[in-house]
Amino acid sequence: MVDVAIVGYGQVPSVRCTEITETQMVLDVTQQALRMAGIDRHDIGFTVSGSCDYLAGQAFAFVQTIEAIGAWPPISESHVEMDGAWAMYEGWTRLQEGDVDLVLVYSHGRSSPGTPWQVWPLQLDPYHLAPLGLDPWSLAALQARALLDAGVASERDFAEVVARNRANAVDNEYAQVSGKFDVDALLAEPYVRNPLRRHDLPPISDGAAAVVLASRDRAAALAERPVWITGIDHRIDIHQPGMRDLTRSESTTRAAQAAGLADRPVQVAELSAPFSPQEVILRDALALDGSVEINPSGGALAANPVMVTGLVRVVEAARQVRERGRDRVLAHATAGQALQQNLVCILEGP
Amino acid sequence: MSAAKDTRDDGPRIMPFPVALHYEMPAAPAITRYGEALIDGRIIGQRCTGDCGLVYVPPRDYCPIDVIELTAADDVELGDHGTIVNFTVVTPVQYPGQEETEPFARVSIALDGPGGMLQLQDVLDTPVSEVRVGMRVAAVWRPEGERNLDELAAGGWSSTGGGIEGWMPTGEPDLDVSRLAGKGF
Repeated sequence: MVDVAIVGYGQVPSVRCTEITETQMVLDVTQQALRMAGIDRHDIGFTVSGSCDYLAGQAFAFVQTIEAIGAWPPISESHVEMDGAWAMYEGWTRLQEGDVDLVLVYSHGRSSPGTPWQVWPLQLDPYHLAPLGLDPWSLAALQARALLDAGVASERDFAEVVARNRANAVDNEYAQVSGKFDVDALLAEPYVRNPLRRHDLPPISDGAAAVVLASRDRAAALAERPVWITGIDHRIDIHQPGMRDLTRSESTTRAAQAAGLADRPVQVAELSAPFSPQEVILRDALALDGSVEINPSGGALAANPVMVTGLVRVVEAARQVRERGRDRVLAHATAGQALQQNLVCILEGP
Repeated sequence: MSAAKDTRDDGPRIMPFPVALHYEMPAAPAITRYGEALIDGRIIGQRCTGDCGLVYVPPRDYCPIDVIELTAADDVELGDHGTIVNFTVVTPVQYPGQEETEPFARVSIALDGPGGMLQLQDVLDTPVSEVRVGMRVAAVWRPEGERNLDELAAGGWSSTGGGIEGWMPTGEPDLDVSRLAGKGF
C-alpha cells in the first residue's frame, strides 16, 4: 500500500449564483491548492475531476474546465460524474500504481442555472421515480418521517442540527448560510415538505474545490504537516429507496469499518448531510458520540455546492489537521438519493 | 402523461414521459464585454499576457495555455475582415428542429489585426463549392438598432449571431494561410 497525503487544498466561497464561469472557479481553487503544495502544475502526474453535466445542462460541460489546469502539452487526466470526493478516491487509487507521485483533484458545481428538484430525479432515476414526481425534497421528507415514526429523532432534533451547523458556519468564510438561530423560532417556521422546513433543506449553491495528493516520500518533502489519508472506502446501498430502511445507512457503516474508523477515536467529523435528519442517521451509522465535534465548517446545511460538497468535507477535515493541529478526523461524502452511496475517509496528522 | 398498452400480448407497457429542463445562466463578465462590443459593431478579443501571447475571441479572462488569469485590461479590438482557415460542409439530415435543407458551410476565420479566430461562422451568398481555405471575407453587420444578444451563449463559443449576419467574400486574392501559422489557436 502506498501512503498518500493531502499536501494542498483550495476552495471558493459558495454562493447562490456565481457570475464567473466554472472554468474560472476551477482555475482559482487549483491554483490555491498548487500554491499551498509548493509545486508547479507541470509536476502533476495525474489529474482527476468530479462534476455533473446535468447541472450545467450541457453534454461534456466538464471538458471546458480542463482549460483551467493547462492541458497543453497533453496531460493524463480523468473525470468521474460524481462528487469530487470520489474523484479523490480515483486519485488515491492512481497513486497506488506507484509510477506517479502527485495527483491534482478538483470538482465544481453550479446548481444555480437549473432547478435542482427537477434535475436530480432525472439524473438519478429517470425511469421509475422521476415520472412519479418524487423530488429530492419529498424523498428527504419521507426519510425524516421514517425517523420520526421509528422514534429515533424528533423535529426538535432536526432544528438543533440546523442551529448548530449554522452557528458553526459563522466563522467559515466559505459558507453561504450562517448565523445564530433559536431552535423554537426555527420550529415555528412553516413546512415545505412535512416534516421538513426550509432550513432543514440545503441552500442552492455554486462552488468549487481542489486538493493535491502526494505519495509518501514526496509528501514528506513537500509539507511540514502532511495530512495522511489512513483510510478511505466507499459503499453503496440498493438503488430503489423503497427497498431499504431509510432510517439507517448501512453503506456508511461498512465504509467506515473498511476505512478503519474503529481503530481509534476521531476528534472531528465533517459529514455530508444536506438534509438535517441525515446528520442524525450518519452519527448513528458512524457511532459518533458526544466527544466528536461535528461539522465545525457548518456542513452541507451551510453550503451545498452539489458535486463539491463531499470534497469540501475532505478539505475542511484536512484544515483541522493542518491548521488546527488535530490528529485524527473523518470526512464523509454522499451521492445518490437519500444517502444511497457513501464515502468515508480518515485523515491523520504526522 | 398517459399509459398506452402495448399491442403485443406479453410485451412491455410503454409510457410517454416528455421531459424539459430550463436553464438560465448569467453571462460572465468577459462575455458581457464581448456582447456589448458586438452591439457596438466591434469584435473584441483578449491577448494573453503570458508566454503564448495568443489572442482569444471572445475574451475568457484566463489563458488555457499559460494557465493564468487575464483581465479586461488585456482586451484588444480585432478586425472585422479575415481569412478562412478551415471549413466544414454540413449536409443536413432532417430531424425535428433542423431548419436547414441544403448543404451549408461553417468556417473558421482568422481575423485581421492582432489575431484571434472565430469558429462556426456562416458565409453569405456563396455556393459551398466555392468556399475554400485562404478566401478573404468581411463581416456583414446587422444594422445598428437591430443588433441583440439573444443568441449569445453564456460560454461564448464564438457566437457572433445577433451582431453579425455572416461573412461575405471580399473578392481579394486568396491569402497563403501558412503565413497565419501560430496566430490562431
